[in-house]
Amino acid sequence: MASSLLRLARRSRQAYPSFLTPLSRPFASDALVETKPGEIGMVSGIPEEHLRRRVLIYSPARTASQQGSGKVGKWKINFVSTQKWENPLMGWTSTGDPYAHVGDSALCFDSEEAAIEFAQRHGWDYRVKKRHTPLLKPKAYADNFRWKGPPDTKN
Amino acid sequence: MTVLQACEIAGVDIPRFCYHSRLSIAGNCRMCLVEVEKSPKPVASCAMPALPGMKIKTDTPLAKKAREGVMEFLLMNHPLDCPICDQGGECDLQDQSMAFGSDRGRFTETKRSVVDKNLGPLVKTVMTRCIQCTRCVRFATEIAGVQDLGMLGRGSGEEIGTYVERLMTSELSGNVIDICPVGALTSKPFAFKARNWELKGTESIDVTDAVGSNIRIDSRGPEVMRILPRLNEDINEEWISDKTRFFYDGLKRQRLNDPMIRGPDGRFKAVSWRDALAVVAEVIHQVKPSEIVGVAGKLSDAESMMALKDFLNKMGSNNVWCEGNGPSPNADIRSGYIMNTSISGLEKADVFLLVGTQPRVEAAMVNARIRKTVRAAQAKVGYVGPATDLNYDHEHLGTGPQTLKEIADGRHPFSSTLINAKNPCIIVGAGVFERNDKDAIFSVVETIAESAKAVRPDWNGLNVLLLNAAQAAALDLGLVPESGNSIESSKFIYLMGADDVNLEKIPEDAFVVYQGHHGDRGVYRANIILPSSAFSEKEGTYVNTEGCAQTTVPAVPTVGDARDDWKIIRALSEVAGACLPYDSLTAIRSRMRTVAPNLLNTDERQPAIFSYSLKPESRQEMSTVPFGTAVENFYMTDSITRASKVMAQCSASLSKK
Repeated sequence: MASSLLRLARRSRQAYPSFLTPLSRPFASDALVETKPGEIGMVSGIPEEHLRRRVLIYSPARTASQQGSGKVGKWKINFVSTQKWENPLMGWTSTGDPYAHVGDSALCFDSEEAAIEFAQRHGWDYRVKKRHTPLLKPKAYADNFRWKGPPDTKN
Repeated sequence: MTVLQACEIAGVDIPRFCYHSRLSIAGNCRMCLVEVEKSPKPVASCAMPALPGMKIKTDTPLAKKAREGVMEFLLMNHPLDCPICDQGGECDLQDQSMAFGSDRGRFTETKRSVVDKNLGPLVKTVMTRCIQCTRCVRFATEIAGVQDLGMLGRGSGEEIGTYVERLMTSELSGNVIDICPVGALTSKPFAFKARNWELKGTESIDVTDAVGSNIRIDSRGPEVMRILPRLNEDINEEWISDKTRFFYDGLKRQRLNDPMIRGPDGRFKAVSWRDALAVVAEVIHQVKPSEIVGVAGKLSDAESMMALKDFLNKMGSNNVWCEGNGPSPNADIRSGYIMNTSISGLEKADVFLLVGTQPRVEAAMVNARIRKTVRAAQAKVGYVGPATDLNYDHEHLGTGPQTLKEIADGRHPFSSTLINAKNPCIIVGAGVFERNDKDAIFSVVETIAESAKAVRPDWNGLNVLLLNAAQAAALDLGLVPESGNSIESSKFIYLMGADDVNLEKIPEDAFVVYQGHHGDRGVYRANIILPSSAFSEKEGTYVNTEGCAQTTVPAVPTVGDARDDWKIIRALSEVAGACLPYDSLTAIRSRMRTVAPNLLNTDERQPAIFSYSLKPESRQEMSTVPFGTAVENFYMTDSITRASKVMAQCSASLSKK
């Protein structure tokens, strides 16, 4: 959410260079009010038990079966929610956790810092998982014809 | 560096089918065509070396038209299967045809059809979908090290197959499902079970061996639907073993969901948690502290092992250990039980000496690294142990400790290879822990390491390859029993998921508590069952064989009335009147910090600081008993994999006799 707002602001700045720039300022005037961690959660009427949730900030890995890198590098928040059960009437999945789908479907950040800041403002007890990036090894088509030592007798 | 790689660095994604960053370059799909200035024709960027001053255009009408032409040829013989294809939704061909495909075809003849192949119980083939990218062939020969797959025929009769009808006999065969850019190779157990957009991915780690491969658990509602690998260059690159990928159906079978007490008639009766814990607490107070024994299982996380040790210590007993660590584990020097070279460090070695270990079945991902090194740098491999099938060239030096002695004395021809090596790497299997002469064997191995200069400030080539996910954390936490044979004289045994302890050694009159998630061997002997959650349902810390602490993330809810392991022990401690001073995951982790701070630095390898040189000299005599095999059946090693149907099929059809 935060990141999409930011992106919107950035885009508007590109489109209307000078006279609309004040719009991209943060909503709260930070000169006067200092937001404390967890305040947003408290003022937005979130039930007590969800105020100090343990969340996990991570960057989803590339799907193993696909090569495209469009979705790589995003940051997400996992609410570690497993309170689910199969509805005995219809076989649908029910959940008792209002945050069950929030992390998966709604929260996506461009950077680790943005995700951390978001979690802090909501007062969540967060843990950040390191992001793994691939090593780039220079390759050459000519390697196919390189002398690779005596042939493998195993196969 | 190729043009495609250069574009990748510049942040331009080029469509591809045959190119894979971990396989050799084939250059046969032609999807990666780009326009290069001053070149008359479009150029296949995956095979073209990037040269200084080259001007590459990836998004021009020429490049687009060239790719559209390629796509039209690829789709010519590709069936319109997407609605019934398991790859649908995560298919490279599907995605790229959105950008480069035409909305109508000019092909009017009948489509080619190819007979499906039977590759075994894991990989399903629909060969008409194949676009002949040959990724699976290259994967099988280069990474898995089996020559099972190949290309047959020419022209439109070209097809992928095994030359004669046979199964794919690799422990990494499941990875061809991932690398297949279309739906030609898909997962057989997952076939038609779910669509991938219904699944919720949870990034967790694998616990079926000591490698700790990074995985993504895909779940739908309360059910684990499949397991996929996740990139981690230091541990599993982007592959996982077949056991890791397909054992998940074991998570749904044979589960314990209620606390149960064995009645006088020998049958289990479900009871409430309150009653079950009260019974355990009553019995534990009736026995002498020295007769209390606790055994942590292969799949235990560090938190629950900490709680178990603290609880039994409070009850006055110090006989707590983790199965697989042998009767007298040595937890004093950390370098004596972890892989000091680190898994990715194995690539720098040039000579390997495997002592009593068959990495292919013990840790398939470590074996893939060794194979990679052997292939890339022609590293030599010497192997001491029973004859085995490693999928790379190796020299079988001998079967028993006698050979080690010869190498240490320099009488063996391999010792000169070791001494001349730049980065020698010695890997001792954890099966040696079970031997009575393990100290003697380790001291001989240390002599070999010394003469080969395997332990230097810039290189540590003396390794132990562990077998189970819990082993390293157990030794880090100091789960060392007071005496090696305490189980024979015990009256109260707490099995925390331990199924492979010597159950027949337990005395008849002993009271056995089994806390675990699967009805496996331990349950047959148990007097009381406390159901706990499996690794996919809890948050737990595991240390892998190279000493890297990682945490699992819960993906699905637990079954029935099961609880997390550490919570059960915490509750029991309160009922037994020896209350443990922590009641949250954060609190138990801060207790772990005082014992083994490395367990809290997750996702980061903690190398051992002191080397073996501080170890007291051993006066043990080495026996002449040859080394055994630590893992008899690769597919069934723990309670979850033994409950899995797919693993049973695999061991029936694929295990080599």
